[in-house]
Amino acid sequence: MKTGKWIALRRASQAIFLLLFVCVLWSTTHPLNGPLSPQLLFKIDPLIMIFTSLSERIILPGLVFAAAMLAATVVFGRFFCGWMCPLGSTLDLLGCLGRKGIKRRKEVDAVNAKVRKPKFFLFAVIAVSAAAGLQLAWVFDPLVITARFISLNFIPAVTLSIDKFFIWLISGLDLRGPVYDLYRSLKSSVLGINVYFFSHSFYIFLFFAAICASALAVPRLWCRSLCPLGAIYALTAKAAFLRRTFESCKNCGVCKSNCRMGAIKDDAGYSKGECILCMDCIYDCPENITRFSWPSAGREGSGPPPDRDGMTRRDFLLLSALTVSSLGFEFNRKRLRRPRNVIRPPAALEEAEFLDRCIRCGNCMKVCPTNGLQPVSFQSGIEGVWTPQLVPEIGYCEYNCTLCGRTCPTGAIRGVTLERKHETILGLAQVDRSICIAWAENKQCVVCEEHCPVSDKAIKLKREAVSGIEVLRPIVDVNLCVGCGTCQNKCPVRPVRAIRVSPI
Amino acid sequence: MLPDNGKITRRDFFKFSFAGLALVAAGDIIFRTAKAFAQQGASNGRPKKNIKGKHDLVCAKGDDPYAITVKAVDAMGGMERFVKKGSVVVIKPNIGWDRTPEQAADTNPLVVAALIDLCFKAGAKRVNIFDIPCSDARRSYENSGIQRIAKEKGANVYFADDWNTAKAKFGYASPMEGWPVLRDAIECDTFINVPVLKHHGLTRLTLSMKNLMGVCAGNRGIIHQDIARKIVDLTDFINPELTVIDAVRFLYRHGPTGGDLNDVKKLDSVIVATDPTLADSYAARLAGLDPLSLDNIKIAVQRKFGSADLDKADIAVLGSRLI
Repeated sequence: MKTGKWIALRRASQAIFLLLFVCVLWSTTHPLNGPLSPQLLFKIDPLIMIFTSLSERIILPGLVFAAAMLAATVVFGRFFCGWMCPLGSTLDLLGCLGRKGIKRRKEVDAVNAKVRKPKFFLFAVIAVSAAAGLQLAWVFDPLVITARFISLNFIPAVTLSIDKFFIWLISGLDLRGPVYDLYRSLKSSVLGINVYFFSHSFYIFLFFAAICASALAVPRLWCRSLCPLGAIYALTAKAAFLRRTFESCKNCGVCKSNCRMGAIKDDAGYSKGECILCMDCIYDCPENITRFSWPSAGREGSGPPPDRDGMTRRDFLLLSALTVSSLGFEFNRKRLRRPRNVIRPPAALEEAEFLDRCIRCGNCMKVCPTNGLQPVSFQSGIEGVWTPQLVPEIGYCEYNCTLCGRTCPTGAIRGVTLERKHETILGLAQVDRSICIAWAENKQCVVCEEHCPVSDKAIKLKREAVSGIEVLRPIVDVNLCVGCGTCQNKCPVRPVRAIRVSPI
Repeated sequence: MLPDNGKITRRDFFKFSFAGLALVAAGDIIFRTAKAFAQQGASNGRPKKNIKGKHDLVCAKGDDPYAITVKAVDAMGGMERFVKKGSVVVIKPNIGWDRTPEQAADTNPLVVAALIDLCFKAGAKRVNIFDIPCSDARRSYENSGIQRIAKEKGANVYFADDWNTAKAKFGYASPMEGWPVLRDAIECDTFINVPVLKHHGLTRLTLSMKNLMGVCAGNRGIIHQDIARKIVDLTDFINPELTVIDAVRFLYRHGPTGGDLNDVKKLDSVIVATDPTLADSYAARLAGLDPLSLDNIKIAVQRKFGSADLDKADIAVLGSRLI
């Protein structure tokens, strides 16, 4: 593995974009005033933007960014995959670790062609489903997978370790003074005042870890074989202006066996759609004859022969079968769907539309100041996996906060003004009189009424004299309750809260 | 490990030395941890210092919350009485809710600002300001206006850590026995309690005693059962040297959260007293209630913890408007 200027530049770019990705997600928290909006991470993603727009028959404002990325791909090729993609960079990093142990196989062209096919199938399934009104782009989108991992696994784990370390230093080793001051300033700046937890985020981690593990076996296996965003860029990059050229090649095969994408063919030509411009082959070439150049540069060497990766009859049949099955899913959705039994974030779209619009990126859960937004497992049917729900026992919906709507890249949660948000109804609180302290035990409490953020108080107190003792008993005013879940969160009754919010 | 001839080589010597050092270090860490945990256990609270002011209570009235706070404290004999040079002061305002100063659910930031200035003028080394809010802490600190103005004045505003607590110990049977209380609130030279006068569904008004719930960690909702007795015990545990009640704006209904400006009445007053019971009693009367109709004041008087006798007390009212 030789290195050179372009490889150094590529690595720098990968590092910068990966770091930027983490930083943008890290700052996706109150007060959300960073220079880059977390929405932008997905607005530059053509897969998400095009197919969410198509399936919902709308024009998402982010399409402009996505189109710009595709236009740049027509000029340079799949630079996004090699130079920007945070998942690709992670896989490259892991590939470096794995490379030592694994002997490079020299795959023949036929194998490489087979390996790269599944992503086009996935892409086709996504495209046809979107045309039929079902948005599946989120499932295998690399930006979504990475963002969800970073927001729901990586950042909570890092903040938890730092927090616990400081708590041990301060209360365990009794180091106070400057250490405590440092901890406090970290807490009110980068660390954040809360350590967040996300329910069953282990499965989110597993999904990401499986992709990473594949990179240890074969470098960039995910990008070569499965990534549908890679597919959309591969199709676009076939028309790219920038291309790889060489003169009087001796067919030594070094570049072919080193290519992380398996893009180089036996005759040293290459599949333009598969090349991610990692620039390895420039420096690997023992004859130093490989170049990347523009068509007008005049150096017309024995350039690569044009691609002939067509679709076989078998491919066509397989694709048809996949598409029909996914459409079957779409047509049976009403039967598959369970009644909505989760509380959606404030100003979320109607359930059917919400499920299609939501890409499960985790932005809303990351930004929720109370940690109340949690990933759904199967409570809202198989369609609802990893969509956000409000779990009032973990965190309530902060009355004056509109952050989740401001981070949603597809508008599944609408960005609304505070006045509109105050009118938005998430659910309805109900007092469980069989366990409520005031109703069942005739004791003082009023915690739910005290915390109710609605200025007219959606929980009214009924003054009743029970055997000589005067008790204040809570009653929910159905006309005022917005279902924010503050009462359920603050209710002191354990293990089951005596006031609970149900979705409506 | 030793070679066959039984002699210790240089390498072995280093190995043993390092192992020994590591063992000592590990032991030290374990010892320190154990000691810290043992210390963390319990606290008897802050001792009662019985510092008296020039009057029992001063109520200053006027349009400028900053000016009347300064006037009231000066009339009490100045902050120097309560804050010694080089001491650590805790000012505990009510920053419980994500509300603006106009909505009057949190202590007026100008009252807090005046107290910070007075403390530093009296020679305080450090002024700590914190609360455990009910709403999101960041939003409450920002929107109450207290964080910004207190930082400008050089005070130390921070988010309280609910793990840094000590278990409250009382010399008598108390329902608050063992409750985790913030160590920052206990370990200070002067504690100034700065509640805001407002309506509350259970205690009728939330005043200085109720405001001390903000230094309690744990499942605080439970405190509401038998709350009057518990907050009196809590006040006895913290023993604030000075109680300053912000009655500039009075949230007279839909408290303690409020949110509607129609629920706010302007009283333009600041009450300063050394006896929390007297301060609460005066504020209750200012709000139009009989002090003894508040359970916590009644219990405090019964236990001779404080006085609610507003006729006998030496009360100075400054400013134009009377009650």
